[in-house]
Amino acid sequence: MSLTTLTKPWEAMSYGFLDGSAKRELRRKTLKSVAVPGCQMPYASREVPMARGWGTGGLQVSLTLVNPKTRVKVIDQGADDSVNAASIRRFIARVAGTPTTMDTLEADLIQSRHRIPEEILREDQILVLQVPNPEPLRPVQPNMSIARQMHADADYGRMWLQLYEQIVRSGRVMQGASYPSLVHGRHVMTPSPIPRWDVPKLNMSKHLTILSAGREKRIFAVPPYTRVEPLVFSDVPYKVEEHGHLTCYRSGTKGFFMNEIPQDDGTSTFEVSDSEWGVKAIRKGAGEPVTTGETWYKNGEMPE
Amino acid sequence: MLAVPQPSPAESRENQTFEALLWALSRPGLVRAMPGLGDADLLAALVDRECLVHAADPLLIPAVLKTGAKVAELTDADHVFAGTLGDLAVLDQLQMGSDLYPDDGATLVVHADLKTGPMLRLTGPGVDGTLDVHIGGLPDGFWQRRAQIMRYPAGFELFLLDDDQVMGIPRSTQVEVL
Repeated sequence: MSLTTLTKPWEAMSYGFLDGSAKRELRRKTLKSVAVPGCQMPYASREVPMARGWGTGGLQVSLTLVNPKTRVKVIDQGADDSVNAASIRRFIARVAGTPTTMDTLEADLIQSRHRIPEEILREDQILVLQVPNPEPLRPVQPNMSIARQMHADADYGRMWLQLYEQIVRSGRVMQGASYPSLVHGRHVMTPSPIPRWDVPKLNMSKHLTILSAGREKRIFAVPPYTRVEPLVFSDVPYKVEEHGHLTCYRSGTKGFFMNEIPQDDGTSTFEVSDSEWGVKAIRKGAGEPVTTGETWYKNGEMPE
Repeated sequence: MLAVPQPSPAESRENQTFEALLWALSRPGLVRAMPGLGDADLLAALVDRECLVHAADPLLIPAVLKTGAKVAELTDADHVFAGTLGDLAVLDQLQMGSDLYPDDGATLVVHADLKTGPMLRLTGPGVDGTLDVHIGGLPDGFWQRRAQIMRYPAGFELFLLDDDQVMGIPRSTQVEVL
């Protein structure tokens, strides 16, 4: 063994920014997290040139997965053009030379902050969700060692109690985003702060979902064809946001998750949250040839 | 504008290997092609100096040492390259992790025949309903023993290699011998 066999040629920067050992660790942990759906696996979470809590977890997974042929789409709350999405997309393209897209159908890898696109993802697509707080038990058990023991014992009684108290106090479940969900009948996970509207999209989906929390250093995954059931009581059914009847004021599209825009006179108008879906609807209206994929929600309802 | 870093051949290979492994593990029972022949590629993509590796084949040891990993006993190893399995002794000594830390479970890499052999029915996450596959080249009673020793979420991951083909069987997959 000599020094030349141990060293590698000099590079200005590793491909995809992360060095080899960071990538290998993430690969090992990603595989383990796929093997135990919904179970949070600790990982080292390396430094990336972005503040923790701004998508560093998702970014590290994306940087590990990409190669120069991977077409990357990045979403921030449904929008492709907000600051967080635009800067992450530009960063990935700059350090990995990947083509980028805004079209859900064209993307190979979709990194998302808090939304799942409205068009159904295919088998060959991977969804990477950024997770600010990966621990669903944190509101009921702040001690993370005890929370880990509770996950090990599948001891989720306090989660049910929390939901019960909300129903007693407010008449309905108040959890808006990151609705706790049981994965593969064993681990309760937070689906990241996606709205309730998006949680059913994870259930028995065709695509692989990887959820990564950079600040909290945990990674977990939902493989394809895996049960993801929101925690509900049998007599209080799961409810998604009542957006099925709303119409987007810009694109005219109807039956999708909307952003509410308050008006001066106290009323609200609504704009479709998945910005690319809105763009497609506008283009279609203008008579341009547009390919739209099948959507999860049809006429504002999720088919059983 | 900065020059975009280009992937080295080794980096591309590791990336492709990982893509194949991730795809294989998230869709148990479906076969995926790796860029090269088995063990060495898998080592390069996954293993580095943080790992404890057990290799049954002495010819694989130099490749293990090159990654910087420590060569370990079967009972301590987190990555086990068992080659072709002769008996079930390997299974009994594997690390299973714990309910607290399921990720401590080992990754077992075995050579097998992915075209012919006993018919198995797979169910679980990643399988759309059920999937029937033929896997040969494993000792008798392998799947029964696997089911006996694993208590989900503790368990181990299995990668079956057949030339450049790989099949992943995560611990969440239930295997029924037909």
